[in-house]
Amino acid sequence: MEYIVETKNLTKRFGKEQAVSGLEMKIPKGEIYGFLGPNGAGKTTTIRMLLGLMRPTSGSVHIFQKDLRKERIRILNKVGSLVENPSYYPHLTAGENLEALRKIIGVPKTRIKEVLKIVRLEDVANKKVKGFSMGMKQRLGIAASLLNNPELLILDEPTNGLDPSGIIEIRQLIQRLPHDYGMTVIISSHLLSEIDQMATTVGVVSKGKMIFQDSIEEMRKFAKQKVVLKVSDSESAWRALLARGMRADWDEKNITLLNQSDENVATAVKYLVKDGFSIYRVEEEKKSLEDVFLQMTKEERLV
Amino acid sequence: MMMRLLRVDFLKIKRKGLWLLTVLGPFGVVALQMVNYGVRKDYLLQQSENDWLYYIEYISNFTHLAIVLGIVILTSFIASIENETNAWKQLIALPVSKLSVYLSKFTVITILLFISSVLLLLFSYSYGLYLDLGEEIPYITLLKYSFFPFLAALPVLALQLWIATVSHNQAIPVTVGVIGVILAYSAFTLPDWMIWKWPSLINGWDKPYINALLGLSVGILLYVIGMFDFKRRDVK
Ligand SMILES: Nc1ncnc2c1ncn2[C@@H]1O[C@H](COP(=O)(O)OP(=O)(O)O)[C@@H](O)[C@H]1O
Ligand SMILES: [Mg+2]
Repeated sequence: MEYIVETKNLTKRFGKEQAVSGLEMKIPKGEIYGFLGPNGAGKTTTIRMLLGLMRPTSGSVHIFQKDLRKERIRILNKVGSLVENPSYYPHLTAGENLEALRKIIGVPKTRIKEVLKIVRLEDVANKKVKGFSMGMKQRLGIAASLLNNPELLILDEPTNGLDPSGIIEIRQLIQRLPHDYGMTVIISSHLLSEIDQMATTVGVVSKGKMIFQDSIEEMRKFAKQKVVLKVSDSESAWRALLARGMRADWDEKNITLLNQSDENVATAVKYLVKDGFSIYRVEEEKKSLEDVFLQMTKEERLV
Repeated sequence: MMMRLLRVDFLKIKRKGLWLLTVLGPFGVVALQMVNYGVRKDYLLQQSENDWLYYIEYISNFTHLAIVLGIVILTSFIASIENETNAWKQLIALPVSKLSVYLSKFTVITILLFISSVLLLLFSYSYGLYLDLGEEIPYITLLKYSFFPFLAALPVLALQLWIATVSHNQAIPVTVGVIGVILAYSAFTLPDWMIWKWPSLINGWDKPYINALLGLSVGILLYVIGMFDFKRRDVK
């Protein structure tokens, strides 16, 4: 398999602290690679090494099958990036900010208008970035990362600081990119739900180590959510469900269904109604990232 | 690539007051003499054998201070443009070499300082003419005292730019800068080897060109050291 990004034993130490250790990242072409991990897991450090902003303590990075150490500039020609908080020049307008990058990249001037349009900032092109909201700055950062029509786009927590509508907008934009422009996208996040909604492939890091790397479907098996029923007289209701051969748990208050497929939930509800219980709530209990990690490490799905 | 980076750096210093400072520096130095000669011209002309040389000496008393102060402010401004929102990471993730990024910053300030020196020459020449200091105009001396301080100050420029671009804490370049300005202020009492003395063009041999040559060579050396240190380090 040919990978757009492939790291081998990628390691970064800060003093005694091992921020990234032995990372083997493999990203096939056209994927949206969700790079998932809690704060401090080493996502930004990894991304900085992918961009040549940081020198690895050991290990190697290959992008487009080329060695980053030897062909950094040739590689970066086709990479767009947004690392951590967006960078900008507050005293310049949005247009001037992009112009300052465009001149170096060497794409035609019309490209500025195009990327501003993609992130819907064309109306404020002549306004100083100083007065922009956090969301607008973030969008400007994404516009900047798209300037050179990259084949690989690397976005480090791009929805940080955005309001819900901004998050949806960015998500829709990112989901279009592989199809519309043939891009491969890396997107990092500490939110399981965010990766779940966007990514096609997932890499999970914890304390600098990759503890899982596979398709989103494989990851969903770990992230399965529980369905919780709140009913009247929950103990009897639970016993009634068990009597009808359903698998469920009871915790003194609520009933938890162990098989949360749509049919199973529907059947359980039907039985409860038939048996004369009142159903107050049928809820999905979200699993936290920590729960998923626990499960991944427990099942020793070390990659 | 260098030309592109330079054009970008000139775009980035827009509205930041660097151009104003470039003009204000030499103007201030000559303006001080406008006050000086305005108040006591007759006395000053009486004091001197050669009115032009005497006038140039008065100007040069302040040139080195202005230039060291100017360098501290210019380098810290140009670094702050990238430091403010940590734009270094965005800039260096572009297909550019770190060496050329550094060279471009250095070149921009060198150009601004050079323009300052040209303006100093023009301002001091014009006001000298206005003062009517005599027919024999010492062009060579005027040129020397306009451009030698600039060359002699290159090590301070290289040092300040280096510190300003690699420091995580901007208090460090400012502190070094302030100490530098104080040293330049007391140039007369400093030993000859101290780079902050050089822009004053004072030395034990009484030959200003020595300071200019020293400045040029040590300036290039410090520049190269700073550039490779900048390249070696992880981006902030
Ligand atoms: N420049 C640095 N110097 C020292 N330690 C760092 C530096 N950058 C990151 N770290 C440390 O490395 C670890 C990983 O950080 P980071 O890559 O930013 O994590 P993430 O992006 O996943 O939140 C953290 O413990 C952080 O404190
Ligand atoms: Mg991070």
